[in-house]
Amino acid sequence: MTADQLIALSPLIAVALGAVAAMLLAPVMHSDRAARFAAATGMAVAALIVIFRVGTPPHPIGALYTDDGLARFGTAYAAMFGLAALVFLRVGNVAKEAPALVALVALGAASLAGAGHAATLFLGLELISLSLIALFAFPLSAAALEAGYKFLVMSGLATSAQLLGVALIYAETGALDFPGWTGQGALFALGGALLLSGLAFKFSLAPFHMWTPDAFEGAPAGAAALAGVVSKAAVAIAILRLNSEASLAQPLWSGGLAALGVASVLIGNLLALRQPLLPRMLGYSTIAHSGYIALILASGAPKAAEAVLFYLGIYAPALTAALCASAMLGQRPTLEDVRGLAKTRPLEATALVIGLLSLAGLPAAGGFIAKVYLFQSLVVTSSWVLLVVAAIGASLGFYYYARFFTAPFVGKSRIEPAPRHRADRVLLIFCAVVILLFGFEPTLLVTAVTTALAVR
Amino acid sequence: MALIALLLLPLLGGLAAYIVAGKGRGDAERWVTIVTLAATLAVLILAMAGSGDGRWMAQVMVPWVPSLGISINFALDGLSAALIAIAAGLGIICVMASWRDIRVDSGLFHACVCWTIAATIGVFMSFDLLVFVFFWEAMLIPSFMLIAIWGHGDKEGAALKFLIFNAVAGFGLLAAVFALASMAGHMTFNAFELAELKLSPTAQVWLLLGFSLAFLVKLSVPPFHAWLPDAHTLAPTAGSILLAGVLLKTGGYGLFRFAPMLFPDGLAVLAPYALALGAAGALYGGFVACGQTDAKRLVAYTSIAHMSIVLMGVAAGVHYALAGAAVEMVAHSFSASALFMLIGALYERTQTRDLRQLGGLQQTAPRFAAAFAMFCSALLALPGTANFVGEALVVVGIFQVNWPFALVALSTLIVSVVYATRLLKGVVFGEARPRHVIDLSWREYVPVIVLSVATLVVGLYPQSLIALLEPAIKAALVLKLP
Repeated sequence: MTADQLIALSPLIAVALGAVAAMLLAPVMHSDRAARFAAATGMAVAALIVIFRVGTPPHPIGALYTDDGLARFGTAYAAMFGLAALVFLRVGNVAKEAPALVALVALGAASLAGAGHAATLFLGLELISLSLIALFAFPLSAAALEAGYKFLVMSGLATSAQLLGVALIYAETGALDFPGWTGQGALFALGGALLLSGLAFKFSLAPFHMWTPDAFEGAPAGAAALAGVVSKAAVAIAILRLNSEASLAQPLWSGGLAALGVASVLIGNLLALRQPLLPRMLGYSTIAHSGYIALILASGAPKAAEAVLFYLGIYAPALTAALCASAMLGQRPTLEDVRGLAKTRPLEATALVIGLLSLAGLPAAGGFIAKVYLFQSLVVTSSWVLLVVAAIGASLGFYYYARFFTAPFVGKSRIEPAPRHRADRVLLIFCAVVILLFGFEPTLLVTAVTTALAVR
Repeated sequence: MALIALLLLPLLGGLAAYIVAGKGRGDAERWVTIVTLAATLAVLILAMAGSGDGRWMAQVMVPWVPSLGISINFALDGLSAALIAIAAGLGIICVMASWRDIRVDSGLFHACVCWTIAATIGVFMSFDLLVFVFFWEAMLIPSFMLIAIWGHGDKEGAALKFLIFNAVAGFGLLAAVFALASMAGHMTFNAFELAELKLSPTAQVWLLLGFSLAFLVKLSVPPFHAWLPDAHTLAPTAGSILLAGVLLKTGGYGLFRFAPMLFPDGLAVLAPYALALGAAGALYGGFVACGQTDAKRLVAYTSIAHMSIVLMGVAAGVHYALAGAAVEMVAHSFSASALFMLIGALYERTQTRDLRQLGGLQQTAPRFAAAFAMFCSALLALPGTANFVGEALVVVGIFQVNWPFALVALSTLIVSVVYATRLLKGVVFGEARPRHVIDLSWREYVPVIVLSVATLVVGLYPQSLIALLEPAIKAALVLKLP
């Protein structure tokens, strides 16, 4: 292995070292500060390495891992938002080992983003799933255990479906790396379908979405953020890579993706409509957003990669801000709890409102440009049915987002002002500023995305 | 650069108002709002005085998201300038009208007023269609908050209805904008470039339908009006003034500006239907207004009638009708905002808007009564008021195109006499109820005088306004007489 290859892998190594250090430190230290520090350092170093490597040409490492811009974007993304989730996982009543698991989720996401081979794909997905099961269940409350258990059972199912799918594809093509996946046979098509359903589970696409709302409601908000932001982005990038490198059975693959996307947009938005629990509403809203991303992926637009990465880049700070604000308000804040929040907890209220504005795709927040990308992808490919579904979904979205983003300004608050940890404050401000910055100056994120995509 | 300043001034002014209100000293946020809006007016006048090229008084173009072909492309002509002046001016009036009324979260309130105005200013000068959509949707948020937070009664329900109607209709616009942009060879949203495309009439009809969905909902032409009566009635006074005076005009402006510019053939196909829709809407709004007992709701329905007349004017497409539609938009801004302000002031004093419980204002508060009489006359388009000029020009224009519709438009003038006198009689004449009403304070009287003078100046010397609007009217003049 050359030095260049080692440098290319160094972000993953940094995250892995962070995870190992956190795991070793957790039992010997009294508080979880050391473990958290180790995991955070690993992820921060990984993100910095990726940022310093901007513009360097890719180094081939072997069949298992691809060091291209897509992988780098995914790695930096996983490291940064894993770090963000780690910040507010603290309020979730988790064990001392939790930071190690967060780093492992980030590691899984990073390897998934660079996966050009079935083995890495499987490894990444499993690393994410197994760590998330433990993270979901950590508070050991009934709701958390339910979330963890549901995820465990469904994750097992999804994993076996996906393994079988890869096996069938291998039987047909004799290849495990994506470029070798070409064929027409029925087994190949079935394999592709099974693989898609396995990925759809992690992507929380309907009808594989059942675990999402429970996880958002019962699990600590930080763990939900990992599932909703980090792991989802990694899966989206993996599908992006499958789209470009493998030639899976068409129109089954794109059609299936479109069908899942349509179902998610409609089901997610409809179930969120009357949902009074803030975290559960966010859970349904992530299902809808997965649907929108799936629609872009299914459309096959020439700029689909740019659109998906832009969408993910906007979506992450928005969902993180909303989830972090929600975590600051207690385990299960309701619409009633959010009322009048602007007076008692102005920072949480601001971050929540800006995050929800962005998720709703309204202007001034970055979500508007993300919506523009979504619509543009669907229009240039003349996917009129998908366009109508996306428009219906986004219109439904206005209703429930509006219920929550106006509530902080009306009525009397039931929530008392409380001191916040410095890190939470920094995270909330950071997310809100980033959302507004990308809303007014989207070129920044567009440049980041196109720079990343240029490295191939 | 002046155009960028026009946008940034109210945007930052709103932020400043929010911040100074947080410090909690007196009426600082009100003065900040007034000063920034006055500065906006001053910048507007400077921009208008600058050297233009005949068609445009000022233009600016800055790339925004080059990868999607979006650029900030602002241009100012007489129509934009008139509507921007109205937006900023009515903003100042909003502050004065809600001086005593709004005491809770006053900083956020003034920020919302400023931001609504900033977004509508953006709408009135954007010629990049995506930026136009950006401002189109952006104006919903602060105006939604104005209704939802400071409204009366079932304010949240009314605000949600307002948001959902307009946001859903906004998707029609967004989808049509994308479809139009995708028809150009390269990715561009520049309206001037897109206007050069030679599209088939069928494509134009479909795209125009998408645009019109958003415009007609905002213009609240029946059957797209269901959000308006509740939103107007339950909004705070400032919200009603902005809704009637500025937000409805964005719909009229969109139709006036973009329908003839981008889809001349589509407009030719759809114009007869639009005329019919407008005629039906004008009659419907007028008749329903006649039956209202809530004064604010009555004025809300008259807005529906007047905006339907604007639609008829644009659809008729001849010079007289277009000039009439433009003048009617301006005139309606004056009269409807003034009436909403007066009714708001009356509600503040008597806690009722029910015409059956009011009366005799001329005995208790003569200045108040005079103001009411002035704007009720404008509402019924009495000759000498700007409303008369607008409606008369529209009717004359429609006569040139299609005389039966002109008769319908004419008959709405008769209906307007009924509802306007009903409002006047209910509030001003009869037994004095309640016994004591405090007369208008100077803060309410100054806006009334300003709006009255404006109404009369345009009414008696319409050329002052029409000369300003002439380039925009000429540009919208694409239909041939049958």
